[in-house]
Amino acid sequence: MTATTDLQILGAKLAALTEEMCLTLQRTSRSLYVKETADFACAIADRDGNFIAYPNAIGVSGFVGLNIATAVARVHDRDPLQPGDVIVTNDPFTTGGLSTHLPDIQMIEPYFVNGEIVAYGWAFVHISDIGGRVPSSVSPFNTSIFAEGLQIPPVKFVRGGRMVNDVSELLQRNTRTPDANEGDFQAMLGALATGRRRVTELATGQGVAVFLEASGYLLDRAAAKSRAALRSLGDGSARAVDYLDSDALSNVPVRISISVTLADGLLTVDFDGTDPQVQAALNIASFGTTHAWLTTRILGLVMTLDPTMPLNGGLMRPVTLRAARGTVVNADYPAATGVRHATASRVNDVLSAALIQLAPETLPAASSGLVVPVVVAETRGEREYVQVVEPMVGGTGARLGADGVDGRDSGISNLANNPVETVESEVCVRVLRYALRPDSGGPGRWRGGTGLALTFEALRPCSLLARGMERVSFRPWGYAGGQPGLPTRMVINEGTANEQRPSIVDVIALAPGDTVTLLTSGAGGYGHPFERDVATVCEDVARGKVSVAAAERDYGVILGADGAVDRVATEEHRSMPARPWGEAGPERERFDRVFATEVWDRMVRALFAGGTHQRNARKVTLVGQVLDALPEGFPRVAAGATAQAAAARQFERLVEALEQRTETKDDQENAR
Amino acid sequence: MVAYRIGIDVGGTFTDFVAVPDDGSPILRHKVSSTPDEPARAVGLGMADLLEQLGEAPILTVTHGTTIGLNAIIQRRGGKVVLAVTEGFADLLEIGRSRMPDSFNLHAVGQQPLVHRDNVLQLRARLDPEGGIVRDSDDAELAATARRICELAPETVVVNLVNGYANPDFEQELAGRLARAITKHGGAIEVISAAALWPEIREYERCLVAVMGAHIHGTVKRYLEDLQRRLTGLGVTAPLFISASNGGSLSVEAAIARPIDTILSGPASGVTAARMHYPGQNLITFDMGGTSSDISIIVDGHSRLSTTTEVGGLALMLPVIDVSAIGAGGGSVIWPDLSTDQPVLEVGPESVGASPGPACYGLGGDRPAITDAYLATGMIDPGRFLGGTMQLYPDLATEALADATGQLGIVVADPATWAAGTALRLTTAQMATELQKLLAERALDAPDFTLVPFGGAGPTHATLLADELGISRLIVPDAAATYCALGAALAPLRRDYVHSVRALLDDATVAELQRAGAEILELGAAWLAANGDDPASGTVQVSLDMRYPGQAYELSVALGEIGLSDLASGRVTRVLDADLIRRTFNDEHELRYGFVHTDSVLEVGTLRIAIIGATVAMAGEEPRPRSEARPAPRTYRRVNERGQWVEAAVLDYGDLAIGAVTSGPAIVEHSDTTIVVPTGWTLQRLPNRDLELAKEGSR
Repeated sequence: MTATTDLQILGAKLAALTEEMCLTLQRTSRSLYVKETADFACAIADRDGNFIAYPNAIGVSGFVGLNIATAVARVHDRDPLQPGDVIVTNDPFTTGGLSTHLPDIQMIEPYFVNGEIVAYGWAFVHISDIGGRVPSSVSPFNTSIFAEGLQIPPVKFVRGGRMVNDVSELLQRNTRTPDANEGDFQAMLGALATGRRRVTELATGQGVAVFLEASGYLLDRAAAKSRAALRSLGDGSARAVDYLDSDALSNVPVRISISVTLADGLLTVDFDGTDPQVQAALNIASFGTTHAWLTTRILGLVMTLDPTMPLNGGLMRPVTLRAARGTVVNADYPAATGVRHATASRVNDVLSAALIQLAPETLPAASSGLVVPVVVAETRGEREYVQVVEPMVGGTGARLGADGVDGRDSGISNLANNPVETVESEVCVRVLRYALRPDSGGPGRWRGGTGLALTFEALRPCSLLARGMERVSFRPWGYAGGQPGLPTRMVINEGTANEQRPSIVDVIALAPGDTVTLLTSGAGGYGHPFERDVATVCEDVARGKVSVAAAERDYGVILGADGAVDRVATEEHRSMPARPWGEAGPERERFDRVFATEVWDRMVRALFAGGTHQRNARKVTLVGQVLDALPEGFPRVAAGATAQAAAARQFERLVEALEQRTETKDDQENAR
Repeated sequence: MVAYRIGIDVGGTFTDFVAVPDDGSPILRHKVSSTPDEPARAVGLGMADLLEQLGEAPILTVTHGTTIGLNAIIQRRGGKVVLAVTEGFADLLEIGRSRMPDSFNLHAVGQQPLVHRDNVLQLRARLDPEGGIVRDSDDAELAATARRICELAPETVVVNLVNGYANPDFEQELAGRLARAITKHGGAIEVISAAALWPEIREYERCLVAVMGAHIHGTVKRYLEDLQRRLTGLGVTAPLFISASNGGSLSVEAAIARPIDTILSGPASGVTAARMHYPGQNLITFDMGGTSSDISIIVDGHSRLSTTTEVGGLALMLPVIDVSAIGAGGGSVIWPDLSTDQPVLEVGPESVGASPGPACYGLGGDRPAITDAYLATGMIDPGRFLGGTMQLYPDLATEALADATGQLGIVVADPATWAAGTALRLTTAQMATELQKLLAERALDAPDFTLVPFGGAGPTHATLLADELGISRLIVPDAAATYCALGAALAPLRRDYVHSVRALLDDATVAELQRAGAEILELGAAWLAANGDDPASGTVQVSLDMRYPGQAYELSVALGEIGLSDLASGRVTRVLDADLIRRTFNDEHELRYGFVHTDSVLEVGTLRIAIIGATVAMAGEEPRPRSEARPAPRTYRRVNERGQWVEAAVLDYGDLAIGAVTSGPAIVEHSDTTIVVPTGWTLQRLPNRDLELAKEGSR
């Protein structure tokens, strides 16, 4: 057996070479998403497809748990891989979920030493456009993967060192941005070549046997460290549910349900009770594995518990995941997956909501829980220009002992924003405000991070796209008496006669002079806000994060006209019960009064007990029927107690009917 | 009579002095303990000592490197700043570039802004991307702003408008109007225009340049004025210069005016010393200190400048000598990772710090560090650490290291040596890996380079690193432990200028570049003259940031170096030529990334022009003796090389005459460092008094 020290050193070298690959890719790419927001990654996989080395500080970190084996096998079984081959794919459904939506172009190169494959290089870039219904390819309103662009199953893009021109011709004809894509493809090939050179050096220098031994060692070690970290949280079980505002095509929310069980460092995550896959592009093609988009928060948790954790695919080994086929978190072909990050954001915070019950001193309250790339598309001459104005996020949740971070959230991807000066020099907008959103952070003894406020004016005719706009209805929850953050709002032409307040955006045409305002949700607070240090509340007021009115309303701190604290009034105010609503906010409380968790559980069970088709349609009809009896905009808009009680009864009746229909159907099938 | 240039470098532990004679005779060196509470005191004390050594000899210049500005930013301890920004952008410094410092730490916190929101004011003035005025601030608004500023009573005000880079004159004028409004309210507060200070696109990063500068302005000014007074008190009449982060220097007046230019001067000075001593060569400087090891890459005698440095967690877009941390320092902790049932030894990133320090310091620290590993493997002598000023305790090092091995459950004959050897291997591999990554980014190969170690532990660890990287030549400078002070003394005057264009490369753009270039040359010549240099002896380096449209990063391409002698507007035109620009960019792109788009248009970003003063004469060389003497060792000691104990000859640095040769295994004890010459390496003293180490069979 090789000395552990040698294996450790090989691990360090492999990790560094993935960073070298990323640097090569980043500097040569011409893509919108690579440009400032680093939506790409490179890694080295072992022969079983697990990532054994992954870059730590560059690119998208969250994909460390993906596996390339399915994509490789699909090509290899039909057309064995040879030195100098490179596979290209973007298809979630033929790659076991390696690609998570169509714009993420993946390339894989087998690295041969002495005639055998010792490892694979992997690179991906979120390219500007891969065709489909809308510019930039991604929209929640796409209802099947066919609307989202060209599906590329794993095929050879390079064969024995020579480009397969037929494939690249086909790819380039199916995009609005062939030039930028070409640059990205070159960048990925460059990164893979860098990886090939280094892996060959290492495997030749150390010997193939040692190289392969190291691959296994690195995964085992990460798995052992990950389990040790989870073991430190003790044993226990908990469940949490939360909702996406809607499925984009109707006003019906989408529920995510997670039960977690910790036992001796082994974590089981069960999505039982999660809604069926939806028509809109919110689905995750996870194949029921510990897929990156379902486990990001767990990755954050183990890395927080042990900052010396090596970053590789072994990290997820102590985690068992259960997600039934046909759910929104394990969607079947041909589901649309473009905006899967919106669902992943929610999954992230539902994981927190379950785990915080087991580890209240480690996990934070809900983050703002959204990523909205605000995109402007403009036609100049024959070409369409598509530019992200700002990738809008919110803040992070407060935790025991610390406020959340304002206006920044690395929850699902650590995006950098765009300098306003760069944006204005490239697209036809003038940014009027890009600031923290006052009063949006969930009040608490520790305050949740604030959301952001963006207002811009169109200078020429153009169109607006803003996918992933979430937390408009259901607020990011607080914990331990902490309050939720303010919900998301979008306003077009605020304060004018033609003001609009869309709760979801597909494509909105903008005329010169039109203004767009997006206010992102604030994150949840932790602990009762009346226990917050008065001086800290005053500092928040001075720094524009909390208004004078909110200081009184949310924190019970009364400020005089001169800005000084009225001690007596404050003490009096803080001795009275305050909370107008609980940790999840009024919308969720209203919603739960109508749609009880247990009844929704029964509905989901009945939907899955029935046929595989039309589950979502049946759910939308059922829930929609109940919502129709309530005021429009419910639960954002309140309903009377009687109306709510009646709706709750109706919901239960409808679910009962559904259960009976299912049973009848089962009986019929049994009889057959 | 011999005249001297004096260089001073203030470090955390020592304040170093060098005096470089102008006749080629050996450099004089001096060291005193630093006085961190009042750094100028140590400078004054050491200067007095040095002047006594120099007697009546005239002093040409005194050049000083200081970290006082850097520390003020790291500790957020500088003066109060009020920031005035375009309406709607009051949270500019809070939001920053929105990225978290750590993607996966659920407990990560954002950076503390230098100016809190309660000290940020908003102005209605707004520019468009072409520099056109969308809206101006009227006098009433400025009066109200001035009133608020007087209430807040800051040391400095910074004005930073969105798109200010496109019209710095407008922003400068607005700053002037605001300053006058403040005067009317009875205040006397300096108002700085961020765009006038550094007119580069990116509102957040540009604002930081100005805000950092404003934050340290008073601290640096008071310090330098105090220093100047002390020097005058000692009878020094030679002009005082301050080292700059770009590897040059500037007059004390210029440093007070733009303190931000001096902020990273410490590491830059050592790099300058290497570059000046070995012009035209490929060098990697290796400065190993207590908490980290820093390297810098010099290609064909040129240092790369970085525009993406961080200072105290904040981005710095100013060009500074590119110095990168690559890993452990002498204080990095060696620890057993016991979190799994297969425990392993790890090194760092935690450091034991100066107190309690490594176990061998005997200050109560029981966690072993890299310095303990040097001691346990015989690389350093416990009686000669820091010139014998600090006694080390080998037993404590052995005990702590053996304990780490024991905790891992590893049973070996000599557990302390096992832990020491393993830690050194891990550390060296980690450093080499990081360094290789930096080289690869620029398509460079380690074996083409000479390693130049300095700092306390650099010469001790350097051959380990060289062996790992396949580097076969090392230069250990004569002044290894005072190299930064030497670099300060040698640094020419230098100032960088920028002009952001943001346009496609066409005739109009070229004309704009030529106009801006000529203007900068005039400014630069005047600046050199004001700093006491003859503009005629200056040089100009022109580079341009460019990219293919839509590309992720701009590539900074050097277009050429010209003399400043004939006020070279005409020459600038020749350098800023469309064909030359296109060709140079494509060549560089091909070299760096392996492909070009010859048909593609080019996007021009920022024009960068460095104005550099006259080069200072170096210390001369001694004549090379005919024989290559092999000095007799003073003694022998056991040194562990990759698990094998060998008897190494121990030599005293003073025994190495010019031309003297010795072969490894050998140890050379110097007053402030130890040079390790492993088996297979030979050492020779060069005519310039530096030591050259070469791997046998490499020449």
